[in-house]
Amino acid sequence: MPQYYHRDPLPPISRRDMLSRIGAGFGTLGLASVMADSRLFAAAEQPGREPASPLAPKPPHFAPKAKRVIQLFMPGGPSQVDTFDYKPAIAAHAGQRPAAVDRKSLRNTKNGLMPSPFGFQQHGQCGKWVSDIFPHTARCVDDIAFIHSMHTDIPEHAGAMMMMNVGHLQPSRPSMGAWLVYGLGSENENLPGFVAMSPRAQPRGKLANWGNAFLPGAYAGTYVNIHDMRPDRILGDLKNQYLARDDQRRQADLLERLNRLDLARQTADPQLDASIQAMEMAFRMQFAVPEAFDVDRETKSTLDLYGPEEYAKGCLLARRLIERGVRCVQVSLSIDGYDIAWDTGHDDIVGGHKRLADACDRGIAALLTDLKQRGLLDETLVIWGGEFGRAPTSEGQKGRDHDHYGFTTWMAGGGVQGGITYGATDEFGLSAVENRVHVHDLHATILHLMGLDHERLTYRYSGRDFRLTDVQGRVIKNIIA
Amino acid sequence: MPALRPHIALFLFAFALAEVCPAEDAPFSADQIEFFEAKVRPLLVKHCYECHSRDSKKLKGALRLDGRDLAIRGGDSGSAISPGKPAESLLLEAVRWESFEMPPSGKLKPAEVATLEKWIELGAPWPAEANSSAAKPSDAAPSAKQAAGYDWTKWRKEHWAFQPVKKRKPPRVADEAWPQSDVDRFVLSRLERAGLSPAPPAEPRVLVRRIYFDLVGLPPTPAEVDAFVATCERDRPQAVRELVDRLLASPHYGERWARHWLDVARYSDGHGGFLDNAEYAHAWRYRDWVVAAFNADMPFDKFIKLQIAGDILGDRRDAVATGFFALGPTYNSDGGDPDSVAQAQAETLSDRLDTLGRGMLGLTLACARCHDHKFDPLPQQDYYSLAGVFNNTAAGESPLAPPEAVDAFNQHQQAIKDCEKRINDARNKINNEKREPTPEEQRQLDEWTAELSQLRQSAPPPYATAHMLRDSGASDMPIAIRGDLRKPGEQAPRRFLRILAGDDAPPFDDASGRRQLAEAVAAPTNPLTARVMVNRIWMHHFGEALVRTPSNFGVLGEKPTHPQLLDWLTATFIESGQSIKSLHRAILLSSTYQMSSTFNEAAFRADGDNRLLWRMNPNRLDVESWRDALLSVTGELDPNLGGEPTDRVDSRRRTLYFKVSRNGDVFATDEFLRLFDFPLMRASVESRPTSIVPQQFLFLLNSPFMVERARALVKRLHADAAKSDADRIQLAYKLLYQRPPTAEEVDVGRAYIATAPDSNHLSPWEQYAQVLLGANEFMYVR
Repeated sequence: MPQYYHRDPLPPISRRDMLSRIGAGFGTLGLASVMADSRLFAAAEQPGREPASPLAPKPPHFAPKAKRVIQLFMPGGPSQVDTFDYKPAIAAHAGQRPAAVDRKSLRNTKNGLMPSPFGFQQHGQCGKWVSDIFPHTARCVDDIAFIHSMHTDIPEHAGAMMMMNVGHLQPSRPSMGAWLVYGLGSENENLPGFVAMSPRAQPRGKLANWGNAFLPGAYAGTYVNIHDMRPDRILGDLKNQYLARDDQRRQADLLERLNRLDLARQTADPQLDASIQAMEMAFRMQFAVPEAFDVDRETKSTLDLYGPEEYAKGCLLARRLIERGVRCVQVSLSIDGYDIAWDTGHDDIVGGHKRLADACDRGIAALLTDLKQRGLLDETLVIWGGEFGRAPTSEGQKGRDHDHYGFTTWMAGGGVQGGITYGATDEFGLSAVENRVHVHDLHATILHLMGLDHERLTYRYSGRDFRLTDVQGRVIKNIIA
Repeated sequence: MPALRPHIALFLFAFALAEVCPAEDAPFSADQIEFFEAKVRPLLVKHCYECHSRDSKKLKGALRLDGRDLAIRGGDSGSAISPGKPAESLLLEAVRWESFEMPPSGKLKPAEVATLEKWIELGAPWPAEANSSAAKPSDAAPSAKQAAGYDWTKWRKEHWAFQPVKKRKPPRVADEAWPQSDVDRFVLSRLERAGLSPAPPAEPRVLVRRIYFDLVGLPPTPAEVDAFVATCERDRPQAVRELVDRLLASPHYGERWARHWLDVARYSDGHGGFLDNAEYAHAWRYRDWVVAAFNADMPFDKFIKLQIAGDILGDRRDAVATGFFALGPTYNSDGGDPDSVAQAQAETLSDRLDTLGRGMLGLTLACARCHDHKFDPLPQQDYYSLAGVFNNTAAGESPLAPPEAVDAFNQHQQAIKDCEKRINDARNKINNEKREPTPEEQRQLDEWTAELSQLRQSAPPPYATAHMLRDSGASDMPIAIRGDLRKPGEQAPRRFLRILAGDDAPPFDDASGRRQLAEAVAAPTNPLTARVMVNRIWMHHFGEALVRTPSNFGVLGEKPTHPQLLDWLTATFIESGQSIKSLHRAILLSSTYQMSSTFNEAAFRADGDNRLLWRMNPNRLDVESWRDALLSVTGELDPNLGGEPTDRVDSRRRTLYFKVSRNGDVFATDEFLRLFDFPLMRASVESRPTSIVPQQFLFLLNSPFMVERARALVKRLHADAAKSDADRIQLAYKLLYQRPPTAEEVDVGRAYIATAPDSNHLSPWEQYAQVLLGANEFMYVR
């Protein structure tokens, strides 16, 4: 095992410990109504009755491998041949344009092959070749399943990003995170079920990347800007600026009392009952949310592990959130306020990609390491990748054009095999040729790992059943542990 | 059905050709057959048959390659091989990964591709025995299915929504005392058959709140409540009739009901945030047009026609109505990639067809974009018949002023520019020569400056513009194979849906065809348009529609709970000249509408969903009515109609005037609206969901907006300094809930006010007022 894993001296904490600590935390606030939670959870289990809260946990279709998802989203299209898909053949044919790479790209440049400006080394027991710009992630390769045969429908950012995050080229469908929370609920009612984060710029398409579209609003992702985040402002009106906590409790009690008097007159209106519970939850969220988002509560060694980058802070927040039962966290990269960070690769792979890797590599490795140390990696699926990749041929002098024919996505933890590679691009890395994986297949696989059958996770809207995978998708069984 | 014949014949002809072709081919030589057996068949078996043969578990793309004729006929994407013409054979494109990428598991070797190419070049030799004309009907390509698959007559006869609207005699009922109108007979007869009885009449105080929110989206004042209650005691039907008439005449009626239509129209101020990011700065003119149309009780068929073709059928003002389509997303491509350009155009067309289909016809037309509709009789060709209309239509900003006024304005502006240029040129020349102007030049400059000032003063005001449609062409478009506009199939003549108009439907030949489309959608013989609207109006009064999938009257939609009532209402609506206000009267002046929402255990057990209408459904206010009510009871509401939208949540204007972005993620107003279930305005909205989430309570408990309303309410309650706290609590309950408080409620309130801490920021009364405004009772209509 690489030395890296021993850097954090914190004793591992089991999930059970963690949950009971969180529970105690609420108890000590002296505010939580334990009853409210147990009622909610009981309601969910009664057949034929709608759960009182849309976020109450729901049983999966079958035993899941993973319980939570962290998506490390890389908007703009990281180049596969400069990161994880090592292609020495490019150097041998530098400047040439063999038939295999003579396919139209977005800007349809007709240039020849451009060798990666970065060195590659073998890492881990699996001997995976990784670019020198990802030195930290390189130490985790034995926990990672690389999929080199990804492909998607179009080589334009906006549509391809929608495909990756909502399974459709237009932003009119629910996001993957919304589907997951709809399918499984959340394990912590005091936090949003799905949190999306990025430093400064939101990924192109903004809300649609974590939106609920036609699913009920409770399944929408909550967006947090890592750059200007303040724990007490994560949600709108999270903090009461008018009353001290006890006084606020009295006021909330009055509201509950009046609502209960009203409820007594209106027999059997489940909505009213639900609204009383929602108010109690809101009350608790005021304290649970700032606590969850407060990274200052971490030990120095943990903070050191993640390092100073904003993206790394997002990775650390992701760990804190999934630890508290949040179902899905999406952490998108941006740089200098640019919403499709990796697109800087058009002009300059050396400058663009190196800077971007520097901005995220340490945080990503720290997240994998930290999850593993805490025993959370087994049940947490981590997914890394962009909406497409970049061509091995050059665009201009130093850059690369979009490539939707083939690109790399990797997954770790959550029931996938570590240290493996699935699928392949051609010898130069342009097109996926072996064991091709469409984005729909990736989605089907993610849902499968979460215990959901992508063909059965449906929502009826306007007279039709919708799915994340539409009418496509097949589970990639070979990467599952 | 003679009308159908020519079309069927056409398809049969096409079908027959495909069937006949193989037989015409010359027999292949033994060498050729051997080449096929040795080289080609193994390739097909190995790489294609998993998905493209009789034995495929799931046949993909309706394509079979286990027979020469089957390969020629092809699948959803058209013919797979053209014998002798490798360049025109989709199969080769696919294995070269130029269009499709086949086989998906990995590219064939170049030698294998060459084998297939040679085989097609040879004319695709195949042994005679393997020709499989005996294909099952379900294997047939879609074009064949279209010919054989639709029994239009049967569809029109058997699916309820395609049957003509029939006005049946209202049924007899046992309890003759209950019905106030024919509506009640339809409802009561169903209840009686189920052994259920209707709930008792709602109390006047409850009823008056319900009618106010239903018709104008605002609560009644205590004085209005008292007056209604008093009239009710003398003559309840009279009281209701007068109230309904008065509210239907209120300009606020149009504000309330326009909003329901704006949901159908997926109305927004643009800012899609995607490849549809344009701002629609004048969208509000469409909103105001709809408000005015509802207030004027514009006949609904006219209303519909103007939405589709107001620029052609009406005057310049009516062209604004085409904002119905023009305000939808118009997508661009963000890189100019040809596939993406085609995709953007296809998506824009899909928006128009979906909005037309679900919004007006209750049909999920957009499902027929890539293939024939899987459930409804909507062939893919019909989709492109209608898409062709919008393919010849452009959406953009156009002046509302007459052309002369526009010209005058533009000429005047040009004159100003010319004058400015003369002055600048002269000054520059002098400056460049580094000298003072000569007296002659100075005189000229002074003259021009005076002229400029005069021109500026006399400039006509800028003319108004709105987003609207205009015709841009007059041609049919082909079917897009699998929805891909870059793969044209057969032509789709512009005309109306065959299920509704029959095969002899005249082609749309008047420019884009929008005028004819408008006539067809609004035609009295069209069984859907009026029914769909009547159903929506019922839904907004009862919380649930008679057809509980109000934008889908197709096979997968729900059937009406009261089909005869729906038809009776629709027929009555049409007889009234499609007067929506008359329809409101027909519904509101019924015992059914005026029932209480009292719970009934036995009825609940028999009919938990209240499909039979044994009580009024209690309904949560939508976000607009709730916020408007907050401002109304505190006395802060700005009652003015129309104009530009605001992006300030703390504005005093009605919520209808909030700025809304298509994705709900641009304005502060978006955020507020989304919190309380305002839907995404990206596609036509059939009904509002209600979700209860903790974040709403964070708003109720913590937001400055609620605190401001609480303060305003306290001010209003304390206007009369002589009153006691008990009096003020009385007044608060009457203002907010249209009822006096119970003794217990008064005690609870007084105790709180007496003992709550007097925070610097919020007095006990303000805290109490905030609770009253945030309470459930304020948010519900029962």
